[in-house]
Amino acid sequence: MHVVQGGDPRAFEVLYDRHGGAAFSLAYRMVGKRAVAEDIVQESFLSIWRSKVRYERERGSVRTWVLGIVHHRTIDALRRNLVHDRRRASAEGIEERQEAPELTDVEAARREEAREVRAALQALPGEQSRVIELAYYGGFTHTQIAEMLDMPVGTVKGRMRLGLEKMRRELTGEVA
Amino acid sequence: MSRDHDQYEENVGAYLLGALTELEAEVFERHVATCATCRHDFEHMRVASEALPRAVEPVIPPDSLKKSLMEIVNAEAREREKVARSSSWRDRLRMPQLRPAFALGMVAVLAVGVAIGVGVAGIGGGSSSQKTVAAVVDHASAPMGSADLVVNSDRAKGAVIKLEGMPQPGPNRIYEVWIHRGGQFVPAGALFGVNHGGSGSAAIPADLNGVDTVAITREQQGGTQQPTETPVMTFKLA
Repeated sequence: MHVVQGGDPRAFEVLYDRHGGAAFSLAYRMVGKRAVAEDIVQESFLSIWRSKVRYERERGSVRTWVLGIVHHRTIDALRRNLVHDRRRASAEGIEERQEAPELTDVEAARREEAREVRAALQALPGEQSRVIELAYYGGFTHTQIAEMLDMPVGTVKGRMRLGLEKMRRELTGEVA
Repeated sequence: MSRDHDQYEENVGAYLLGALTELEAEVFERHVATCATCRHDFEHMRVASEALPRAVEPVIPPDSLKKSLMEIVNAEAREREKVARSSSWRDRLRMPQLRPAFALGMVAVLAVGVAIGVGVAGIGGGSSSQKTVAAVVDHASAPMGSADLVVNSDRAKGAVIKLEGMPQPGPNRIYEVWIHRGGQFVPAGALFGVNHGGSGSAAIPADLNGVDTVAITREQQGGTQQPTETPVMTFKLA
C-alpha cells in the first residue's frame, strides 16, 4: 500500500484491479444507480491515491480498508442528498446485475464467502437483520430507522448490537 | 461504569454500521480512544460489520471508470514527478531541521511566525462569526497531517479542531490540546483520538480570550498537566 500512496500508478492500477469490482458492487448496492456508484468509487480511489486516508495493516486487510472507505463515502453521498430519487437495489433483485464472466479460484472463494455472510445475515431474527440492512446498505441513521419502524431509538441500537454479535458468532463458529 | 459509558456502549453496533451521525461518530471515537471496554466490544463486533460488504452480489464496473481514474492518476503522477525534479536543488541547500524540545519549538513558532500553512480566513460565505486557522504541522510527527481550528468571534465560546491524515497516537496514548496563555501552556480540556482514516476532531471548551497559541501533543491516556513532547501541530491565534 505504501507504494500506491507513494505515487506509483502501476501499483495503484493493481489495487483497483483487485478491489474495484467489490467497491463498485457495494456502492451500487447502496445507491442503486450506476452513475452515482461510479462517482463514489472514483472519489474513494482518488482519496487513496492522494494519500488522504492511510492504510494501517493492524486494522485488517486492504480489501476491508478499501470497502470501509467506499461505505463511508456512499453514506456521505446518501446523507448529502446527492442521490436524488434513490432507487436502492433490493436484496431480491438488482436489475442491472452482471455476473463475472469467469470464475477464477479467487472469485469462487469470494462467492463462497459471500454466501456465508448472507447466510449469517439471513439466520438473524427478522427485526435484527432489518435494522442492520437499513443501516449498512441503506445508509440510514439510527434515528431515521427508529422513525421508519416506529420504535424507540434504544431498541434500534440494541437490535443492531445483538444482530452483529450473533453474526459474529455465526461467522467465527463460536458457540453461544 | 458511568451512565455516559452505558450510552456509548449502546452505540458500538450503530457506529460499526455507519448509523451514527458524523458528530455522534466523532464523540463515540473520542470515547473509544479512552475506554478499554468499548474498544474491546468494538474490536469484537467489527468482524461482523466488516463482513457485510462481502455479502453484496458482484456487479462489474464499466471499463470507462478505470480509464478515467487512471487518466487522472497518471496525470497527477507526472505532475508530482515534475515538481519533485524542480525542487530537488532546493532540498540540497536546505538547512537540516532539528527537532526542538517543546519550549524551544514554541519559541521558534512564535518568534519566526512560521508563515507556512498558517492562514486566517472567514468561513460561511463571508460570515465574520467564525474564523478558521490552519495548523502549522510538525511533518516529522504527522507527515500527512492537516488541521483547521474554527474559532468563534466570541472567543469565550471556545473552538473546534478538525484534523485529517493524522497518525494513530500509539498504544495507550492520546492527543491532548493545550492553550498558551500568560506565558505558559495549560490543558485546554480536550483529549481525542483519530479514526482509521486519520480523521478526528476536538472541541475546546476553554475561554480563548488572551490565548495566543493552541497546540496538540501526544500524551499518555488520561492526559497530563504539562506537555511532555514537541507539539504535533500548533495554531497561532494572536
